[in-house]
Amino acid sequence: MKILSVGRSNLKGQLKIQQMAFVLVAIIIFFSIVLLFYFSIRYNSLKSDVQNLREQEVLETVRKISGTPEFLWSEEDCSACIDLDKVMVLKNRTSYSGFWKNIALLEVVRSYPSYEDEECTFGNYPNCNKITIIDNDENFRGYSAFVSLCRYSTEGYSKCELGKIIMGFETIQ
Amino acid sequence: MNKRGFEFSFTWLFAIIVGAVIIFIAIFAATNFIQSSRLESDAKVAEQLGILLNPVETNLEDARYAVISFPTETRFISRCRETGNFGRQIISTSLKSGLGEEFTSETTENFFFNKYIFSEEQQDVKELYLLVKPFEMPYKTADLIFAYSDEYCFVNPSSEIKEDIESLNPAKINISDSDELCPRNSVRVCFNSFSGNCDISVDLNRKSVEKEEEILYYEGELVYGAIFSAPEIYECQIKRLMKRSSELAYLYAAKSDFLQGKGCSSSLGEELRRFAVLGSGINSSAELDIIANEAENLRRRNENLICGTF
Repeated sequence: MKILSVGRSNLKGQLKIQQMAFVLVAIIIFFSIVLLFYFSIRYNSLKSDVQNLREQEVLETVRKISGTPEFLWSEEDCSACIDLDKVMVLKNRTSYSGFWKNIALLEVVRSYPSYEDEECTFGNYPNCNKITIIDNDENFRGYSAFVSLCRYSTEGYSKCELGKIIMGFETIQ
Repeated sequence: MNKRGFEFSFTWLFAIIVGAVIIFIAIFAATNFIQSSRLESDAKVAEQLGILLNPVETNLEDARYAVISFPTETRFISRCRETGNFGRQIISTSLKSGLGEEFTSETTENFFFNKYIFSEEQQDVKELYLLVKPFEMPYKTADLIFAYSDEYCFVNPSSEIKEDIESLNPAKINISDSDELCPRNSVRVCFNSFSGNCDISVDLNRKSVEKEEEILYYEGELVYGAIFSAPEIYECQIKRLMKRSSELAYLYAAKSDFLQGKGCSSSLGEELRRFAVLGSGINSSAELDIIANEAENLRRRNENLICGTF
């Protein structure tokens, strides 16, 4: 009789420990799910915050880029004019790589008149439509601003045409 | 009497250990969460501040004035690094918090290659005042941002500075005829006067500013930089500006060669390359006058060209 009662008490204790272990496992699983849920929400909100900040940065930069020394046309007092000759030379300056932070695309496109050749080279300039300064070939969202593309013509006088600057930021997938 | 006393069973021991572990993990997670949240919001503010500095830059204007308000008292940290083709402007912020440390010592650094902020290295501000001026030597090189939060009193400034201050009407900058009339606790900036009451002395003839027992040399609008910034930041920004000027000189030299190929007479290429070498080799603001003289020669030469290079 005595031996039986000790066995029952042990069994009861073991059952309690098992019960507690199950409760603990359940608590851990519950908290893991809660944490997973929380981190996924937080990651998404962080992603959208970063995207919004990059978007704001591009929007503000594209508005002001015609006033920066690398694009500025200084022959006349014109805030929306850019120096196309300078931009053409800038295209090949490797020292400027990474200068515009978080910019995945930077293009100057002629809107009117339009030419057959797309990308400008020293061979076809100025009879071409586009000068690409940065193209990281990644997923990006672009914004543009209309500008006057000014340059010296072969006759020695300045000439301005309608164009736009396109600037894009890398989107987070 | 019960001699056995309290029975400390395994169940109790197990519950206490597990409970302690859970409480420790909860406290650890909460502390980390608060720290990372603070770091995140500090980084966001620094990034937003960087974005806000774009619209204040100049196009055709001679100067601009802007005020940036922070949601709460914020520690604004501005650092300058000379390394690389353009050096770096580093901005960090830390928002004041009622929990733990007032301002976090660990901050996220946000850097820019094309911004030049002349300020003290660290300022605790609710509002940051910005004066923005283009830097031209001889072509536009960059926009200079002078950021301050303290009260300044300019005693007998030059007519150009007086005109600038009166037209922009920036907050916390007063003009006075005597240092005795300056508001209390203001930083006294004396022009061509070396009274013992001055915190900063500007020698308009030598184009130098004496501050914190150091002499800084300036040209043109850089006088504000020497007044508002810490000496080491000023010297670093001068080197960065000259690096940018040097890169622009190479760009203009390439443009000059390109225009010559198009039949447009522009023979500044060689001079611009020499100017680029001179600019990139600057060691301190004391050499600014040599560069300014060269820049003036270049400006005159450029004015006489049919197709101006810059």
